[in-house]
Amino acid sequence: MNVTRQAQRLLIDNLSLEDALPTRMPVYVSSVVYLFGVTTLSALIALVFTGVIMSLFGPVWYHDSNVGHFVNSLHFWSVQVFFGALVLHMVSKYLMAAWRDGRWKTWMVGALAFGVAVLTGLTGFLSQTNWDSQWIAVQAKDAVNALGVGAFFNTMDTGQVLTMHVVVMPLLLVLLVGVHLFFIRREGPVKPFQTEGRHEQAN
Amino acid sequence: MSKRTEAYFRNVPMKPYDLLAEGLVVLLVVAVVVVVLAAVFSSPDYPTVRGEDVANRQPVAFVQTSANILAGNSSIQDYGPPYTSDTDNAQSLFGIAPANWLGVRNRIDPVRDFILTPLEQVAVLNHDVATALDTYEAASPDQQQTWVTAYLSVLDEATVVNGEVRVSPGDYGPVPTLMSGMLDLGRSGLLEGALESNAGLPFTLDFTRSLLFFQDDVYAGVAEKLNLLGDQWGISNETGRYPGAWWLWPYAFFYQIEPMSSSDNADLEVGAIMIGVFLILLLIPLIPVISWLPRWLRVHRVIWRGWYARSDGG
Repeated sequence: MNVTRQAQRLLIDNLSLEDALPTRMPVYVSSVVYLFGVTTLSALIALVFTGVIMSLFGPVWYHDSNVGHFVNSLHFWSVQVFFGALVLHMVSKYLMAAWRDGRWKTWMVGALAFGVAVLTGLTGFLSQTNWDSQWIAVQAKDAVNALGVGAFFNTMDTGQVLTMHVVVMPLLLVLLVGVHLFFIRREGPVKPFQTEGRHEQAN
Repeated sequence: MSKRTEAYFRNVPMKPYDLLAEGLVVLLVVAVVVVVLAAVFSSPDYPTVRGEDVANRQPVAFVQTSANILAGNSSIQDYGPPYTSDTDNAQSLFGIAPANWLGVRNRIDPVRDFILTPLEQVAVLNHDVATALDTYEAASPDQQQTWVTAYLSVLDEATVVNGEVRVSPGDYGPVPTLMSGMLDLGRSGLLEGALESNAGLPFTLDFTRSLLFFQDDVYAGVAEKLNLLGDQWGISNETGRYPGAWWLWPYAFFYQIEPMSSSDNADLEVGAIMIGVFLILLLIPLIPVISWLPRWLRVHRVIWRGWYARSDGG
């Protein structure tokens, strides 16, 4: 068995260069809703970029320095744009029933990414190291403890929440987004309802 | 195209497209929007509430917090896992209490960890506190409770004279001296350090004890002023006039309605509801009716209006 040849075949069967970086698109891809996903992805890139800069200088920097606070503001507003675009993306994909024709995996991985994004946001609020972090830490601990998660995740352990926010959660999120994008590019955009012919009723 | 997409898009008219150009333009627009928002509105950064701040600005509240903890009135006193062994107090739903599954993982004895141990550090520097601490530790638990309860009962009428918290005369044993020691510790800015003092120093990054110290009344008082309490949709709000974690509105919503709004198990109940909601979201493609709704709602006719106009016309 030649593993490399198998991988080549898998790629050819599932994701050609034209799939990954398309230069043609079905004519029905003609609405602003198709931009919500790429807007979410762009905000995620902005979040990673500003987050890396904040990580380089450390938590004190974004409180004590004007430049640091500005980068913190960029990160803050990127979060708002990210979740705004993400919610619009999810709602529009729901209204298009974009899971049809075998695209259920794309939907589910996207939903998982949304869940991870929310938890990444929580660890982000806890990592601000300001009053918000204090209050959210003591409030969120009750929910975390009630669910039994408090035994291994402590919202008041700044070391843990900071490393979770800077390393673990972004890695998980980027991995899920990567798989989500792979499925999107592999499958292409789902057809409008009436063009599906005999598959019209299928989920 | 791959075999898969070739088959799917057969007979579908195609148009020229440039994925990277579109992506770069959107990225540029998002970057500009974010920079403008950050430059115009900045971001919230409400300063931390420290022991030093509370001791200097609200010495009576500081002493009340300390005395309540010493009296065993801290909400952590019988919280249950992961802090204490009182498993009866863990939140439960239909008899299931997930908090108890892994037991006590971060044991906290509020009286010892929040008051007596920090006072032992103060006692090294302050002979009066050392003597008071010896007296207190030598007394019976009943005597200790009598002193603290009597002291707490008059604290509401306490006055601050030359920075000292004064109460009406009474038999409080060594408690006023101990509380004065705690207040000095707070004013010195060393409270948090004393609370987190452990073998991990100077690399301690776990602030569990110092955050729990003020959570009951002091933090709640600040949070109420800032519109951040649970019944104010707290966790989805932000300090100042900034958007908060509005994506948590559905989560915060369930805390506002019965039976959760008056339940001792609200966190677990809302948590269970949200896990259920998330599972529905995850499994929408497989759920009848919910997965059929988009066709019936016909919003897709608007999204693909160009295509439908073309199809209808053709």
